[in-house]
Amino acid sequence: MLVLLWGLEADAPLAKVQEQLRLLGVPTKFIDQRSVLQTEVEFEANDGVEGFLRIRDESIDLGAVTAVYLRPYESVGLAEIASGGPQSRPWQHAAQVDDILMSWSEITPALVVNRCSAMAVNGSKPFQLEQIRALGWSVPQTLITTDPSAARAFWKHHGDVIYKSVSGIRSRVARLRPEHRERFSSLTFCPTQFQQYIAGTDHRVHVVGNEVFACEVRCSADDYRYATDDVPEVLACRLPSDLEDKCRRLAAAMQLPVAGVDLRRTPEGEWFCFEVNPSPAFTYYEQVTGQPIGQAVARLLAGARPATISRRGIGLTPEPAPAVNQLHTWLEDRRVRHG
Amino acid sequence: MLVILAGQEDRCASWLANRWKSSKVALLTSADLSRRGWRHHVPSSYMGAAVIDGHKVAVDTIAGVLTRIPCVYEHELGHIMPADRAYVASEMTAFLFAWLSGLSCPVLNRPTANCLGGPNWRRERWVRLATSLGIPALPVQRKVSQISDGLVEQPSCEVIVVGDRCFGNAAPALTSHARALAKAADVDLLAVQFNSPDAEGQFVSASLWPHLVCPEVADAVLCHLLGRAAC
Repeated sequence: MLVLLWGLEADAPLAKVQEQLRLLGVPTKFIDQRSVLQTEVEFEANDGVEGFLRIRDESIDLGAVTAVYLRPYESVGLAEIASGGPQSRPWQHAAQVDDILMSWSEITPALVVNRCSAMAVNGSKPFQLEQIRALGWSVPQTLITTDPSAARAFWKHHGDVIYKSVSGIRSRVARLRPEHRERFSSLTFCPTQFQQYIAGTDHRVHVVGNEVFACEVRCSADDYRYATDDVPEVLACRLPSDLEDKCRRLAAAMQLPVAGVDLRRTPEGEWFCFEVNPSPAFTYYEQVTGQPIGQAVARLLAGARPATISRRGIGLTPEPAPAVNQLHTWLEDRRVRHG
Repeated sequence: MLVILAGQEDRCASWLANRWKSSKVALLTSADLSRRGWRHHVPSSYMGAAVIDGHKVAVDTIAGVLTRIPCVYEHELGHIMPADRAYVASEMTAFLFAWLSGLSCPVLNRPTANCLGGPNWRRERWVRLATSLGIPALPVQRKVSQISDGLVEQPSCEVIVVGDRCFGNAAPALTSHARALAKAADVDLLAVQFNSPDAEGQFVSASLWPHLVCPEVADAVLCHLLGRAAC
């Protein structure tokens, strides 16, 4: 058994899982992206998948890896690499290391939490929402438009409407307010997403393999992640068992062994699903609720069966989209500007 | 109408639009995504609207789409302030992914989460798929160290798959392999490369972007989009 962790040491979920794997006594190797310039990779794919990874004097047989936890950022974004530019040798080396490891993670028979191809669906919120709806969940009515009159009609029809980014770029969810009307002319330059506002109580549900950790988030802000005036109160809770099963099925259908599901329960008791986060930063919720999510992720990774050089049957799904983690707040503090 | 989703400088797209002009074809470029009129709903209970070549059209009038770009590129967004181009390109790409996925007409190829033109896999993934189908393939060896780069194999034969039809001078066995690969990847348009045109040729790689400036291939694509048998 060998578990591979890939990312930055400072990443809280990665550090938590590493700590839990150590407590479980699971053999673990950490690929620190800060060492990317000292990292060498060899990889061969044919009817099997083989490879070696070396970081300085340490060598890792990729064929021996039974499970992987991925939390990488783009290595070329590291200051010492970015400063050289795309033509520099360090940039090209880092980009190649990332590319080969991404490629390997897509076809290795090891358990991968989560494969980039599965995570990429989160790069288009309306696409993912349609997928969620098709799996039997209630979802908010949504309009993506470049037409100010269509946006106005949608707003009028629903009374209360929020806006957020279309892509996976992290955005602050906010409600439309009268002062936004004057900015509607900007809609013409880029498709913008509007959603019916659903009143109710937010719930974050972490699905880890077969385990479900739910918490209720009490907060009056439109987006509790950015609440300043009303600090969110996060309380561990238990969902009805049929809803837990529905969350498990949702994560499984999306090929996500670990997922963060965003739900809202209306005052009438209806559950809406807004989004499924394929790389949840669970440590915040663990810290405030005491739920052992990191331990569950570690157990999931440790429980993966030894990898074999499989000659058949690797699931085939598309490849990754680049990770985007910029903060975006479109109508609030940034406009799409006409050049 | 038929739609070719393409880059603004795509000469092949212009050539195809000209060749197919009797079938009412229009080019959709990133400039159209900065025009008033797009409407896309989830759930799709309301009729959507698109802006194609500057004109607003109802989505149900679109008969087929050929996609020629993997994403919307920043450099095509000259009308957007430079600081916003990366963000707008991401938003437009994400929107097109949802929009193309929701179309019920033929789309070559159906988008995937990482590419508007289909499963834009790395070569290793194609080789794994080929070998899982029993297609002989050249192994992919990649290496990155302080002193060497990855190896690149040079194909010498290409088979283009368009729906059920195949083009290229290759042994029937390779044509059959190419068709099987496209089917397994769930794409209708694919260029499949081998290291030899003989029956013993080994798979090298595949591409979602075949060379379409060839009358036979272009006509086959048109037939596929129009839902016709070989014409």
